[in-house]
Amino acid sequence: MSRRWFARLVGGFLACAALVCATEPSQAQEKKLKIGVIYDLTGPFAGGGSDLHYLGSKIIIDHFIKQGGVEGYKIEAVYADAQSKPDIAINEAIRLIEQEKVDMLLGMFSSAQCVPAAARIDQFKKFLWMTTCISSAVLENRHFRLAFRPQPSGRQFGMMSADFIAQNAKSKFGKDAKDLRVAIVHEDGAYGVDVSTGNEAGAKAAGLNVVMKEGYSATAPDLSSLVTKLKRARPDVILHTGYNPDITLLLRQSRELGLRFQALIGHGAGYGVYSKLKESLGNDVNYFFNVDPISIWLSNPSALKPELLPIIQMVGDEYLKARPDTKIKSAHVGMAASNTYLFMSQVLPRAIKQYGGVDSEALRKAALDVDLPEGSTMLGFGAKFEPETAGMAGQNTRGFPVIVQYVNDESKVVWPKALQQQEAVLPLPASSPYAVK
Amino acid sequence: MANVFDIYLLEALINGVLLGGVLGLLALGLNLIFGVIDVVWICYAELIMMGMYAMYYLYSVYHLPFIVAAILSMAGVGLLGVLLHVIVIQPLLGAAPINQLLATGGVLALLQSTATIAFGIDFKNLGIRLPVIEVADMFVSYTRLLAFGVALLGMIGMYLFLSRTYTGTAIRAIAQDRQIMPLMGVDTKRIYLITSAIGGVLAGLASCLLVLQYDVHPFIGLTFGPITFMICVLGGLGSMVGGFIASFVFAEIISVGGLYLDLEWGYVFAFVFFIVMMFVRPQGLMGRKS
Repeated sequence: MSRRWFARLVGGFLACAALVCATEPSQAQEKKLKIGVIYDLTGPFAGGGSDLHYLGSKIIIDHFIKQGGVEGYKIEAVYADAQSKPDIAINEAIRLIEQEKVDMLLGMFSSAQCVPAAARIDQFKKFLWMTTCISSAVLENRHFRLAFRPQPSGRQFGMMSADFIAQNAKSKFGKDAKDLRVAIVHEDGAYGVDVSTGNEAGAKAAGLNVVMKEGYSATAPDLSSLVTKLKRARPDVILHTGYNPDITLLLRQSRELGLRFQALIGHGAGYGVYSKLKESLGNDVNYFFNVDPISIWLSNPSALKPELLPIIQMVGDEYLKARPDTKIKSAHVGMAASNTYLFMSQVLPRAIKQYGGVDSEALRKAALDVDLPEGSTMLGFGAKFEPETAGMAGQNTRGFPVIVQYVNDESKVVWPKALQQQEAVLPLPASSPYAVK
Repeated sequence: MANVFDIYLLEALINGVLLGGVLGLLALGLNLIFGVIDVVWICYAELIMMGMYAMYYLYSVYHLPFIVAAILSMAGVGLLGVLLHVIVIQPLLGAAPINQLLATGGVLALLQSTATIAFGIDFKNLGIRLPVIEVADMFVSYTRLLAFGVALLGMIGMYLFLSRTYTGTAIRAIAQDRQIMPLMGVDTKRIYLITSAIGGVLAGLASCLLVLQYDVHPFIGLTFGPITFMICVLGGLGSMVGGFIASFVFAEIISVGGLYLDLEWGYVFAFVFFIVMMFVRPQGLMGRKS
């Protein structure tokens, strides 16, 4: 071997070593979590709350992007519009997985989308973090390994309102629970059906007298026969689950056809967008109730972990920057923000530090390790997810909704007692056009 | 039995009549267009949506009086109808019906997307609450009564226009024979334009009344489009009287069926009735055999 040849060999070796050294840090720099985010940005669900959920998730994701990522991983989000259609939601999920090569999926507003999409995403073995879609049917007896939902289930929503009515039967309505007439009306999708199942189970457990239970299509052009039927059933309390155009149609036709009742309890979705209800129905919405996770801006700050308070402030500021016309901050934005923050602050760092990366298996293990007591999320509840073997695998067992009442453009928690901000106004005062005269 | 034939049945029947009025108003313009030009405007409900937005902006944002806003909205949608004819329909008059359907379907998507971009996804409404009429323990919606009355007047007005005016006679003549009338000196292009404008104005009229009852959003057309189309087919495409009768038949089935069974069953019965009628009388209730 000549000296010149040896020098070339050493030179080549050194060049290769230098190249390896140079590329290693850049590879480290390229560590990245690519998140596919799916919400309805067009179609009826968009105005019904999905657009606000998108905003909440985006605020948190942008916050972590600005911070430079999580545990050395850059964050990149690819947003997709499900167009308020389940088939589009599935197609977009597949596109994000196959073409955009996302590491995981986050979002989805409608249970009608989550029910089929969760199964499809599971086939691709991708991690799914559902910020909303509350129907039990999304997770019940499906034993998904990689799908998780921090939000309480629709059945919990339904049971809570029935419990609230039963507990207040004697003191507010002056009747025993068995004498209180309750009507359950709901949109006929996975969301409405699940909440109504909870309503019925809760009413049965509390001994309430269910005089009517009926579903309807959220796109029905006319609900007057449903209203006439409600008049015939003469309920004291109406438990209603719907999106937005159908809620305003039902309430408008109820007013026009002279339906009277003593209380109306809505269950999230359209009932969570107060500004729209107010715009459509004016003061008629006064004293209506809504079951939902608490608005993060109504949470009791002393009951939350102190590090969450500046995040709540930041979410509120960004919300108002994005939507300067906002009068009452919608709980929807806070829900998605809190549930996204839970992932970014608890699941993701754990996956990277303890399980070595952001692949689906690492994220799954990290999600199952999360064990947070009450007050650890902006929504006030804790987090502990059901394992794969459980009937509701992936469901947060520590999530719970609250009941708020809209009084004079303010939203106050009235149930459960432990979180109560003001006493519930029951029955409807005579000033309401729906009040029993 | 007493429970079955009670005051609520009467209320449901009245609601059915009033709903029929709303549906009849929707079907009026679509039937006129098909009867004369022989093209189905699949995007008809989206024209109504544009009219509702026009009403919202003119009345709620620019604070014009309701009547002025209504006249401007009707004129605007009438102009849209003319543009639709000139830009999309006219070049396709000799094309296969499926091509015409696809083209107006494309306009449907275009109008939905344009509305989403221009007006956003929020539900908007005028915030007008008209009084309720209470008669013997029954409540009648004033807005629906108004829609019913206007639909009836619209129907009578259309009948008088078509039977008593020269242009109306020409429109009817074209509807009866598109090939012969040009040979007899009728300017078909002009008649088509007038018909499209009238169809658009009728859509505008419907939008002025619907905006009192429904929130407007870019996808409101999906609520009315399919059912309006079915009513037109049931009545006999192109037959305005048939469409009007079909509206009431459909509305009563939905209303009374929904009272005694689940609301959804009311719609199921209406659709089953539609399917059966398509077998029994494919040309529709008042349609002509081709």
